[in-house]
Amino acid sequence: MTQRAMIIDDSRAMRSILRRIITGLDFETAEAGHGQEALDLMEAGFAPDLCLIDWNMPVMDGYTFITEVRKRPEWRNVTLMMVTTESEQGQIVKALAAGAHEYVIKPFTPDAIVEKLELLGLSGKGIPA
Amino acid sequence: MAPASFELIASLVLRETSIIYEPRKEYLVEARLHPLSVQAGCSSIDEYVQLVMRNPVERQKSIDALTINETSWFRDNAPYQAFTETMLPALLAARADRRRLSIWSAACSSGQEAYSIAMLLDQHLPPGWTVDILATDVSTAMLSRVQNARYSQVEMNRGMPATSLVKYFNRAGTEWEVVPSLRSLVRTRHLNLAEPFPMIGTFDLVLLRNVLIYFDQPTRHGILRRIHPHVASDGYLLLGSSETTLDLPADLNAMWDREQIGRVQAHRPATQAASTIAVPRPHPHIASGSLTGARP
Amino acid sequence: MTIAPEMTDVHAIVEQVWSSFLGDEEPLLPAYDADGPFGADDAWSSAVSIHGGWTGTVTIELSKNLAFSLTRLMMAMDESEALDDAEVADAVGELVNMVGGNIKSLMPGPSALTLPVVAAGRAAHSSDLREVSRFDARWAGEPVRVSVHSPS
Repeated sequence: MTQRAMIIDDSRAMRSILRRIITGLDFETAEAGHGQEALDLMEAGFAPDLCLIDWNMPVMDGYTFITEVRKRPEWRNVTLMMVTTESEQGQIVKALAAGAHEYVIKPFTPDAIVEKLELLGLSGKGIPA
Repeated sequence: MAPASFELIASLVLRETSIIYEPRKEYLVEARLHPLSVQAGCSSIDEYVQLVMRNPVERQKSIDALTINETSWFRDNAPYQAFTETMLPALLAARADRRRLSIWSAACSSGQEAYSIAMLLDQHLPPGWTVDILATDVSTAMLSRVQNARYSQVEMNRGMPATSLVKYFNRAGTEWEVVPSLRSLVRTRHLNLAEPFPMIGTFDLVLLRNVLIYFDQPTRHGILRRIHPHVASDGYLLLGSSETTLDLPADLNAMWDREQIGRVQAHRPATQAASTIAVPRPHPHIASGSLTGARP
Repeated sequence: MTIAPEMTDVHAIVEQVWSSFLGDEEPLLPAYDADGPFGADDAWSSAVSIHGGWTGTVTIELSKNLAFSLTRLMMAMDESEALDDAEVADAVGELVNMVGGNIKSLMPGPSALTLPVVAAGRAAHSSDLREVSRFDARWAGEPVRVSVHSPS
């Protein structure tokens, strides 16, 4: 079964970069420009295995998005990975405490995303054993 | 760059490190030497190569720049998983009397492998055990990087779990610095794998990953011969995943047993062959008394 | 004394952003263009502000050619595809977001980062802000300037 990823970033250019990496791993993708848009897509039926989440966005930031997703038991299996320029140690700790599984600091190279997904057992190409 | 400049620099790197730069790798040489060339105030790469030929400082800098490997934390994952799940428990049982482990990262580059192992040992080594991690490399610049233990943001993103990042690193300006408790586990030493090894003892685990591919075949075989006495009789040698299928001559092949651990193939000193390998080798100067004597 | 990011740190951050997203075949070369490398007609600029433990503004100014090239690279578009201003603004905005966020992490915190503001033309700064750090560079011959301003 194809895995699905939601890319949440207010920059189209950044979503384009992430989309190229993620579709290369055979994920099906959806995109949202902020946290609320992503929640709306999920409410409407897009069920992601993975969310790549920017922190600073208009309307709803990535940190709030994570806390919202974690309130909902039906989304407990969604893997949440922050991809953000926020790079203080305290911010990483805060995101992990709120329920993020992994954290990539911008700038990153494509390998960084691929390796992080391997760490999470999400290397695309179907549900891992 | 001019073909003549490429030839000069490629033969220098081959002579000093036994690493081969094939002619189609000109773009790579240019990309790596470009910043040095600009720093030195040269107007072209060719001019910089001329400078390298007469200036030992620039020569060392250019060799360092050309021996850098792309590397990540917990590279390929599977070897580290095999280490914590299989090799480490076996070694803990076998070394229960000494309660000491020794590990060699034999082409440590900027140190990610050595510190990745150090992190796992911090998590899995029982209290009262000690560990010594030796990190060696041909590049002195790389060895100072291991000692400084500072990594850029881009390097930190490469395979470092976020939980380990916050546990084992502190921010230091634009970089991240390994915490002192891990740094104290790792010591460095200059070592050219292509030359006879100094007295370094034996190790429970030797990591020789993704480096043999840079050498020509005779050098590869020489390294695998010379590394044998440095792996404890019940220890492990890990090569890169593409390196376990290298063709070996029969005598060298007989020196190693292969053991499949999860998705990883480990090399272990062959028990039967142990008595036959101390007899004359193709490179008598390498089979020095100190090395054969180092075998347990 | 004003607390300011070191020029070498700004350089390191810009270098990392550049090599991660814009490939490293074409290196970013430091340049020392004291008077500013380009005219107002031919430039794009973007800025983010940092507020909290440290307050300041991070600005990137770059030539129009460079703004268009890097947008194409980030969006994986080739020369034949037309770019609109919104796409360029987006890419240049993301660039300053990455540089600004990393500069924020060097300064006393905690601080918050604003969303980027992008404009066609050079950046203008109010008189109560003073330039505390600057990095000039060229990429494929095209100029880029990263500057940090903080209240005087």
